[in-house]
Amino acid sequence: MSEYEIIDHEHDVVVVGAGGAGLRATLGMVSGGLKTACITKVFPTRSHTVAAQGGIGAALNNMGENDSWQFHMYDTIKGSDWLGDQDAIEYMCKEAIPSVTELENFGVPFSRTEDGEVYQRPFGGHTLDYGKKMARRACAAADRTGHAILHTLYQQCLKHKAEFFVEYIALDLLMDDNGACVGVLALCMDDGKIHRFRGHQTVLATGGYGRVYFSCTSAHTCTGDGNAMVLRAGLPLQDMEFVQFHPTGVYGAGVLITEGSRGEGGYLTNSEGERFMERYAPTAKDLASRDVVSRSMTIEINEGRGVGPNKDHIFMHLEHIDPATLHMRLPGISETAKIFCGVDVTKEPIPVLPTVHYNMGGIPTNYHGEVVTRRGNDQNAVVSGLMAIGEAACVSVHGANRLGTNSLLDIVVFGRAAAQRALKTVEKGSSHAPLPKSVTDKILARLDKMRYAKGDVSVGEIRNSMQNAMQKHAAVFRSNSSMSEGVKKVDTIATSLDGIGIKDRSMIFNTDLVEALELENLMQQAIVTIKSAEQRKESRGAHSHEDFPERDDKNWMKHTIMWLNDKMKTKLDYRDVHLNTLTNEVASVPPAARVY
Amino acid sequence: MDKKVAQYSYTKVENMSSVKSPGVGHWKLQRISAIGMIPLLLWFIPSLLFSLLGSYEEAIAWFQSPFNTTGLFLLFITLFFHASLGLQVVIEDYVHNEGLKIASIILIKLLSILLGVLSLLCVLKIYLS
Amino acid sequence: MAEFALPKHSKIVKGIDYPLETDSKNTRKVNVYRWSPDDDQNPRIDSYTIDLDKCGPMVLDALIKIKQEIDSSLTFRRSCREGICGSCSMNIDGTNTLACLKSIDDIEGEINIYPLPHMEVVKDLVPDLSKAYEQLTSIKPWLQTNTKPEEGKSRKQSPSEREKIDGLWECVLCFSCSTSCPSYWWNGDKYLGPAVLLQAYRWIADSRDENTNERLDDLEDSFKLYRCHTIMNCTKTCPKGLNPAKAIGEIKKLQLERK
Repeated sequence: MSEYEIIDHEHDVVVVGAGGAGLRATLGMVSGGLKTACITKVFPTRSHTVAAQGGIGAALNNMGENDSWQFHMYDTIKGSDWLGDQDAIEYMCKEAIPSVTELENFGVPFSRTEDGEVYQRPFGGHTLDYGKKMARRACAAADRTGHAILHTLYQQCLKHKAEFFVEYIALDLLMDDNGACVGVLALCMDDGKIHRFRGHQTVLATGGYGRVYFSCTSAHTCTGDGNAMVLRAGLPLQDMEFVQFHPTGVYGAGVLITEGSRGEGGYLTNSEGERFMERYAPTAKDLASRDVVSRSMTIEINEGRGVGPNKDHIFMHLEHIDPATLHMRLPGISETAKIFCGVDVTKEPIPVLPTVHYNMGGIPTNYHGEVVTRRGNDQNAVVSGLMAIGEAACVSVHGANRLGTNSLLDIVVFGRAAAQRALKTVEKGSSHAPLPKSVTDKILARLDKMRYAKGDVSVGEIRNSMQNAMQKHAAVFRSNSSMSEGVKKVDTIATSLDGIGIKDRSMIFNTDLVEALELENLMQQAIVTIKSAEQRKESRGAHSHEDFPERDDKNWMKHTIMWLNDKMKTKLDYRDVHLNTLTNEVASVPPAARVY
Repeated sequence: MDKKVAQYSYTKVENMSSVKSPGVGHWKLQRISAIGMIPLLLWFIPSLLFSLLGSYEEAIAWFQSPFNTTGLFLLFITLFFHASLGLQVVIEDYVHNEGLKIASIILIKLLSILLGVLSLLCVLKIYLS
Repeated sequence: MAEFALPKHSKIVKGIDYPLETDSKNTRKVNVYRWSPDDDQNPRIDSYTIDLDKCGPMVLDALIKIKQEIDSSLTFRRSCREGICGSCSMNIDGTNTLACLKSIDDIEGEINIYPLPHMEVVKDLVPDLSKAYEQLTSIKPWLQTNTKPEEGKSRKQSPSEREKIDGLWECVLCFSCSTSCPSYWWNGDKYLGPAVLLQAYRWIADSRDENTNERLDDLEDSFKLYRCHTIMNCTKTCPKGLNPAKAIGEIKKLQLERK
């Protein structure tokens, strides 16, 4: 093994990731006086939160419609297809109000109403009076809400002099003999040195893993590194079969067109010019939940009513909207449509296609952000020293399908919750127990294996085959035969990792190595995703099973949890869905048919 | 201390600012002198061209008019003032050695005063001759 | 002072040519600046010929294709590929821009790609932006207030007040503008540059911020602000269509008005 210079750091808390969740947690911890390190593989404002467009959901009731967090909670539970944990959902929807107000106080440049309040727009699945009519609940900064929030959180972190380690890629969690997490090992891309971060809490805020698919709205950096580290630490991931397809990714390029564009009055049509969503969702129409709209679009295309020469996509129309409104409310997507498909949105429709967008699944946690696992009959066993927040986590507030605007909300609410929890549980400045050398050596051996890989298959080739297999076999509609074929394919592709070859042997900004490490991370999540999908014999939310088209609450209202060992073999178990609420301020919502 | 920590730590940044030298006064005077030169040059350049067309005596006579002498006084004062301000900016832009920079700026100022006084004396000399 | 001998590693040599064997008529040569800190070699220009029929429309697609299929050691930053994260700023065809927003069709002939000008190079197309980030921190780019908002309430801001920061807060911090500015090239250590000044003005123009005077005081410096000579390269190059030159002009105007 090569000799690496190892630089040690001791902190109260180590946050991995500087997207919205990581920054919100860092901010809360630093301002509360915890010595916090925030490690990130890209400069904070380049994290993928920046690409969120439409808004952040909170029942602020700025539009005078008597909105309340109870309606928001009902919508989120219904959206989750009753797979979301109701205690966590109650917490999120209630805390949404102070969390978003706090964001405004931090300086987020929200758009405004005539009264000078934060502007709110309608969004898919958000309703008033338990589904009676559409609600205006998405707090928006034009169509660049994620950019506004991410930059503001970074600015606040600067204000509180947070300590950042930028362009460091986390390699693995440091786990002690008792199965507790005591920190993380990271590679500094700038000089190739190894940094060992010790923390009494390690917070994973590493985002989703959209890049297991060929076509996704996610950034190139969305490789779910935290999820993979958790798997390698011998812990399970939860509900990985639930992958959200956003209805309106730009055909071809895959870049996102916000649901907010339908919130502002946009609609979808098929080759016959029909507004087909009226058939599938008579009340919500184009603003039905994302899984519903994506499925409807796919059915239209499969039944030969797609548009374009190959009849393989759908049109989204904005040209009926006043150009001044488009300019004020949707400037970003007007630009995106122009650049990526040459379309002037004031004159022509945008060609769109359901595109992989979000991972509802991830690291199981409770509503404090603490990572949980199942130990025997204890379904909520807390893993000491480890937290997870944001898209990496599965609290689970999104269940089988996430509502638009709830992802920005998730990162802010649970980033804040994690900070509050750490302030309660971590003793400031307390010392760290010594760590056996073997823990670090094992991780470095894995790094070395990749760094000196001399095989003849490139990162790009393996990544391509994995992405294509996932795109084909874990798509909007799934079937027994397609998924079992997919499992075989992914297993075979995973073994090809042994033959991987790296060209760049240097240690300074070696992106060849980093991409190989990311690929290994993706591969582990691909296996867990497709195997979790294969075993779920029902249709729920984003998981549409052609052989089992109905939801089966009797047998399947439970979270999948899956482990993966170093031989790439999986182990399966389940956790119960929390149907109980957190307080008695609101009643539990019993499962019902999901009609929009 | 680790490199990145130092890079992004806020304390280092506060010490980063250069010795403060105000800019709005300089910027304002440079613009005012530039604006002042517009009418002066609009008057002077055509006059100069006309006097070049004429004889030596005619040119001298033009210089000896009190009106023209006053105009020339104003022009040369503004011109050298403006030039010294402008040249100072050029030196600040390109000369990065602090000592050399200060020396060059002093030199420019002295040179401007010297050339300015010299020009005024010449105008005065013609006027009085 | 002007240096007459070029610094080490300034001379760029011809590098490796990667031809393409294909029947396709639609090919393009991409010339990319390469430099690795690991050896003592001068930078070089490697040339890759690619088949545009099998490549996405943007320059970033071409770079990713090269990294994926021809030379995996090629190093550049990228992330969102939709022009919002600001990672892939570089000099393409003589202009600083985001590779993900630059269409290959807009470039005639060979595509020449260099890192952002006048920044230290970490490797290949990756510049060291740490100084620029420090400068951003130096202007205290966060909301500063002396009054507290009503407990549990948002601050109010009318739509017309909010409109004043449009075109300012959307900056993605790609630093294409700062690195296109000659004044920033010569005095990048003391002049804040257009990107940071745009951010400074973003807070000056925000009706919620109550420290406008202190902000203007901090900027009232012959180097931090007044090295802007209105060259306008910043506005011309901004891949997001923003106007830093105008923002700087507004700051100068405010300095003048309050004196």
